[in-house]
Amino acid sequence: MASTFPIGAGRQYEIVHDSIHHYERSATRSRNEVRLQPLPRKGVQLETFRLEVTPAAEMDAQIDHFGNPTWLVSVEAPHSALRVTARSQVSITPGERASTAAVPWDPDQLLRSPAVEFQLPSPRVPELKGIKALAGEMNLAEGDWDSLLRANRDLRLRFEYLPGSTVVSSTLQEILERRVGVCQDFAHVLIALARYLGWPARYVSGYVVPEAESEGNSHAWVEIGSADGSWLGLDPTHKSETSEWHLAVAVGRDYSDVSPMRGVFVSESAGAPPEVSVRIAAVDPFELRKQLHATRQILQNQQ
Amino acid sequence: MAQALPDDSVVAPVRGGVQAPLMVAAAAQRRRLADDTAAWFARNEVHFGVSIAGEVVQRPIPYDPLPRIVDSVEWAWLERALAQRVRALDEFVRDAYGEARILRAGLVPPALIYGSTSWFRSCRGPAALRPGQVCIAGIDLVRVQGRWLVLEDNLRVPSGASYALASRRVLADLAPELLAGLRPRALGEYPRRLLAALEQRSSEEGLTVLLSPGPANAAYYEHCELARLMGIPVVTAADLVASHRGCWLRKDVGNVPVARIYHRYSPEYLDPLGGRDDSLIGIPFLFAAWRQGRVVLANAPTCGVADDKRLFPFVPSLIRYYLGEQPMLEQPLTIELDSRARRRDVLSRFDDFVFKPVNGSGGKGIVFGPVANREERAALSATLEEAPGTMVAQPLLEIERLPCVAPAGDLEWRRCDLRAFVVMDVDPWVMPGGLTRVAPGTDQWLVNSSAGGGVKDTWVES
Repeated sequence: MASTFPIGAGRQYEIVHDSIHHYERSATRSRNEVRLQPLPRKGVQLETFRLEVTPAAEMDAQIDHFGNPTWLVSVEAPHSALRVTARSQVSITPGERASTAAVPWDPDQLLRSPAVEFQLPSPRVPELKGIKALAGEMNLAEGDWDSLLRANRDLRLRFEYLPGSTVVSSTLQEILERRVGVCQDFAHVLIALARYLGWPARYVSGYVVPEAESEGNSHAWVEIGSADGSWLGLDPTHKSETSEWHLAVAVGRDYSDVSPMRGVFVSESAGAPPEVSVRIAAVDPFELRKQLHATRQILQNQQ
Repeated sequence: MAQALPDDSVVAPVRGGVQAPLMVAAAAQRRRLADDTAAWFARNEVHFGVSIAGEVVQRPIPYDPLPRIVDSVEWAWLERALAQRVRALDEFVRDAYGEARILRAGLVPPALIYGSTSWFRSCRGPAALRPGQVCIAGIDLVRVQGRWLVLEDNLRVPSGASYALASRRVLADLAPELLAGLRPRALGEYPRRLLAALEQRSSEEGLTVLLSPGPANAAYYEHCELARLMGIPVVTAADLVASHRGCWLRKDVGNVPVARIYHRYSPEYLDPLGGRDDSLIGIPFLFAAWRQGRVVLANAPTCGVADDKRLFPFVPSLIRYYLGEQPMLEQPLTIELDSRARRRDVLSRFDDFVFKPVNGSGGKGIVFGPVANREERAALSATLEEAPGTMVAQPLLEIERLPCVAPAGDLEWRRCDLRAFVVMDVDPWVMPGGLTRVAPGTDQWLVNSSAGGGVKDTWVES
């Protein structure tokens, strides 16, 4: 994506991620883990982040095992719906596009590295015979970066992108059999292939920032661990490598580690799937600066 | 990955055994004591739940009145050996949740940490690095030709201490003259030691409670009994509420802070947001409160990573690595069966082995080579074909048999093990005795209470 902005002057965006959980009967209390705060990355700076919860909740931000900011949200009052709105303002500074290759691992070196966690099977990406078959079908070689690039580019020749064809809980086995899916499924398939070929691979959830203001969408892609310690992003849904416009929110072994919201509530009835909307809009930098200035003024007046 | 017995390990001293009381008594006298003690267990409801047709039935645990006697010199050696083992296991737990130095050293396969279902990512945090993750360990020992061997390390919910206490109390009540003769070391300080170890972990204001899964649990008697002896309340999940700020006991007058929880849960069920999300008996955010040090959990939910049967063969190297010491206790060879060649070799000498599921407890799913019938053998072969990593093999050991009272009052010799209890306070303390578990018959191999096994008292010479 070419940028029309001068290098160094970040472009400002606001992301509003809104979700509403309705309960058939009132919940007396609930406990939730929320992972919606964007991660700082090269070229991406988080300017402000606010989590709004209705009804009123006690909140605490902690960093999880994978380094993701995780908000712990406790609601004590009876409530029939829980609304969680995450407002993030980020500044994105596109850099030079330089395609780097990941350095393959010596197997013994990988066994002794923390990165090995991402090469082992995980809850949503178990070891499957179908992956070996797929790697053979696509003629992929172990420890070969070009093979991975090709798998990333060609996955959609073998799997059809079909919104609504799968659900959040669809298993990797089902995806391999039906050969359809959405971004989450493609990410899981690429992770499985990469691990089979000897690479640590992790799941990234986040957003792709659109060029024009729009209803945004949550997105998922993959990062491959290089033996030099870096992680390189591959997006099989877009058949491309990732850029600064891929805004990461959480990383993990697979989807089970990064769900935007996991919760437990006490109620006599079950809950319904949440209503989720994401809006991403460019912000006038001058407006943002004014807002930040106003916030600082308030803080100073309070002190 | 198989590992041989450490042949450089220090061998336990063995002296001539002391004759157990009642060995030379008349059969009728032994029978009477066996009946009286069984009646005492029933009257005092010293129960253990046994699963019958899917229902847990609480019934008195079978008791044999002839005590096991352990020489004081041998016991002193065991105390040091057990403390050594538990200290190394505690170091491993903290390392597994910290820098994982053991992986950099290449001594343990990474799957035993990152691939373990008992290594909870949600438990990483300051609390997981503190010494004393293990508060109580239950180490299962057997004697084979006079040498003590470890068969299992229980660190999640080591159970059985109350049955050891009852095994002593019944003799004090019904046959005090027996105890007066040899004067075995007293066990009664166990509850006080356990409570002190809990309080040593937090000096915060707040209650100390015993968290039980409830009356359907096999060891519910033990939950109530230990709580009674420690003077703390028994609570269930419905009584507690947690947030990142701490844990509270719900009362009509309002919530009361809880500072220390002695829990009797398999740890994955403690918190549906930190362990198994299908746990219906969990307390959401209990791990969040624990990892920031707002509430003590004993044992810490981290401990399961160290009592995985796949880790067991590596414990001697953990002792060498973390403590720089030679392992004192020996342990049987454990053979992984995921390689086809090794599987064929082991199966061709089927009668020499015992086969154990890697994720089992209570003796469930264990197959003994010489006594397995045709169906059990076929089922085992099928399991090994389907999922070879789920079972391990160990050479079948002829473990020590101890004299027990037979139905007619004469003596019969049954296989026994010893569950030793180690309480980790500032210094480790080993209960002087422990729980001797007895196979239900002379031809039986399993001593587990859930397999119908009984218990007897253990006397350590003073």
